[in-house]
Amino acid sequence: MVNLNQYPPKNGRNYYLALGLEGSANKLGVGIVKHPLLPKHADSDLSHHCEMEILSNVRDTYVTPPGEGFLPRDTARHHRNWAVRLVRLALKEAGISDPSELDTICFTKGPGMGAPLHSVVVMARTLSVMWDVPLVGVNHCVGHIEMGREITKAENPVVLYVSGGNTQVIAYSENCYRIFGETLDIAIGNCLDRFARTLRIPNEPSPGYNIEQLAYKCKNKDCLVELPYTVKGMDLSMSGILGYVDSLAKDLFNKNTKNKLLFDSQTGQQLVTVEDLCYSLQENLFAMLVEITERAMAHVNSNQVLIVGGVGCNVRLQEMMASMCRDRSNGQVHATDERFCIDNGVMIAQAGLLQFRMGNTINDLAETVVTQKFRTDEVYVAWRE
Amino acid sequence: MLRHSIPQFDSYQICASLFTDVENTRELRTEVASMPFAMIDASCIGSLEQLFCAVYKAILESTYNRLRTKNLNSECILSLSPTSNIGEAFKRFGIKEDSKDILCLTVVNNTESIPDTLFDDVKGQQIELSDENLESRINLDLIKKVR
Amino acid sequence: MSQEVIDQIAAYLTSNIPIVPISQGAEAVVFTTNVHPYEPINAKTSPNDQSTKTKYVIKYRPHKKYRHPSIDRALTKHRTLGESKILAKLSQLPGLHVPKLIATDVYNGCIWIEFLGEDLPDSFGFSNLKNYLWMHASDPYCDDVKKTLIKVGHQIGLLHWNDYCHGDLTTSNVVLHQDNGHWEPYLIDFGLGSTSTLVEDKGVDLYVLERAIISTHSRFAAKYNEWIMQGFRSVYEDEGKKGQQKMKDILKRFEEVRLRGRKRSMLG
Repeated sequence: MVNLNQYPPKNGRNYYLALGLEGSANKLGVGIVKHPLLPKHADSDLSHHCEMEILSNVRDTYVTPPGEGFLPRDTARHHRNWAVRLVRLALKEAGISDPSELDTICFTKGPGMGAPLHSVVVMARTLSVMWDVPLVGVNHCVGHIEMGREITKAENPVVLYVSGGNTQVIAYSENCYRIFGETLDIAIGNCLDRFARTLRIPNEPSPGYNIEQLAYKCKNKDCLVELPYTVKGMDLSMSGILGYVDSLAKDLFNKNTKNKLLFDSQTGQQLVTVEDLCYSLQENLFAMLVEITERAMAHVNSNQVLIVGGVGCNVRLQEMMASMCRDRSNGQVHATDERFCIDNGVMIAQAGLLQFRMGNTINDLAETVVTQKFRTDEVYVAWRE
Repeated sequence: MLRHSIPQFDSYQICASLFTDVENTRELRTEVASMPFAMIDASCIGSLEQLFCAVYKAILESTYNRLRTKNLNSECILSLSPTSNIGEAFKRFGIKEDSKDILCLTVVNNTESIPDTLFDDVKGQQIELSDENLESRINLDLIKKVR
Repeated sequence: MSQEVIDQIAAYLTSNIPIVPISQGAEAVVFTTNVHPYEPINAKTSPNDQSTKTKYVIKYRPHKKYRHPSIDRALTKHRTLGESKILAKLSQLPGLHVPKLIATDVYNGCIWIEFLGEDLPDSFGFSNLKNYLWMHASDPYCDDVKKTLIKVGHQIGLLHWNDYCHGDLTTSNVVLHQDNGHWEPYLIDFGLGSTSTLVEDKGVDLYVLERAIISTHSRFAAKYNEWIMQGFRSVYEDEGKKGQQKMKDILKRFEEVRLRGRKRSMLG
């Protein structure tokens, strides 16, 4: 059994405090969480029942103009500019006047974009030295998973992690979050973002959200634009789909009437709209995601799904997942919540605090190097059986 | 006459007979298109399984409105062939100038009745349609050419 | 298993074809029945014999409500047809044991195949490789097990030598069928099967099976895998210089796949 209480909180308190710093992509998040010290955690497998309390959760997103993505250098600058302000705000909201009270400071070690990760870890090191608080490096994906488990109380779900940089189906086995299936090329969020860029739709609030809204407006839902369906066993590939749907969108904008799929060959009348393309793209991509999730569920004999990551906010994806689960005997979807879907500091604090409670802290600043490549299955999950 | 129906599609009935030493093949050949049944060169059929597999497929295609020939009887001949080339299928499995052993087959809706006289135009000796009789008449060289 | 799925298939198979569900995967549900889809009952055996002995397997890919109907239709048709085609091709390869394909219904996502295997004694369950190895757990290295595993390896070798890949090799996807008192392994479930000349696909196939054996029969896995590979190599060794070279390439890739644990390292 796991003992989560082997490293007691600072100053003889009966609760832990952790600060989480997240900045692996275009969002900078700072969160502070509190875990009560409970006897039940001394000998248990209850890492999803920490009774976590969110003391503060602040975030700022770097938004680029329509048609542009976020570049590492500019994103890193954004994070540097906002870091101090956000940390101050988070401490104030949490009502912490003396930051050295914190048990640990958690930062995203990876995966993500190099420059933004680096800005955030510099901040984390500075705070650690200034306040004399130990550091914990957290895998971004594990952050999403642990936050999702804590909030939904799902004990052992199959996790579909869908975001701008990741597309993975994950299940726990032997102290490791094993990746059952994943993208062979680009991530789903990346695919949607890039298509949004081709369509030149706004990046505010998020490109994926705007595609979702356009898809709802599709008037011709019976007639799908046929796109490649590229599930390869447990894995999937999306670059081909993006390339194809991009070329369709370009033909549409350039009024290329030679394209018989988009324009009537006799009258030249337009047959397909931008909304239709968004709808078809979503239906196609999400069907692939749900399919590989179902495979993983059958494989590990689980009936719970947890969707995490930014794309998890998509209502249509949640609907499809729920429909799949209904057809499996008493399946449940733990759909999703802004708190663990969109990158934030709290999830890093949650996963980091679990790591801290298992004694997995950083002793030497030399160990705080961040890495762009950091696979979910490289993390030793000490806090589960 | 062998009467059978496919369990999954029991609204159809199938009737088949095997004739040997047929004398009027040439004559029958000119009327192939107007006959209410299909005539198959029995030397291309080695078992009932092979025959009814094609019938199953034909009825299936018909149920989902995917007939590629004009009726169920002709679709059965096409379904015997591994390719979708209609001309090729009729050439291989339909009766030839010199065919002596002819398998007659019809598939109809249950609402219709099949008269016992249906195959009377075929002038030959009717023998039992069985695996043994088919096996002994098969021409393996012909079958091997089918690709 | 959802009753709705059973009702769906029962409705279109009609009451003439009684079905018994035996397993459910992510993609398909498998049933057995004792009714042949089209062959006249009195064709080969007497009716009594038919009902007691002959069984057929129906693999049904149910309609998936979560996906758009046109995607669903296209996929069901494509995969049902794909699996039938691969089964048909494989059954023509000399020496390779796969279940015989009986019928395909692409519109409903159904394939009919012959039933293989039997129930093992002492309630060890159905005679797939997994249960068979469990049954022999008390005498794990007996001659019978060795012979059987070498044959399993030989089957996989034949499959790969002919440039086919299974895609989901596990111990439950190998069925043992008694033939003159000997167990003959049959590979089943080609739902993820493909033709492939890539060493990568073959390496992954071998790796997946190795993992499956390690996870279900961990204590004896080393010896088991060794015997399987012995059978696998024998196929290539019989094919002269060309075979030797191909085998070297596959085994090298197998080693690489094992080291990286199937997955490529990728950007986060």
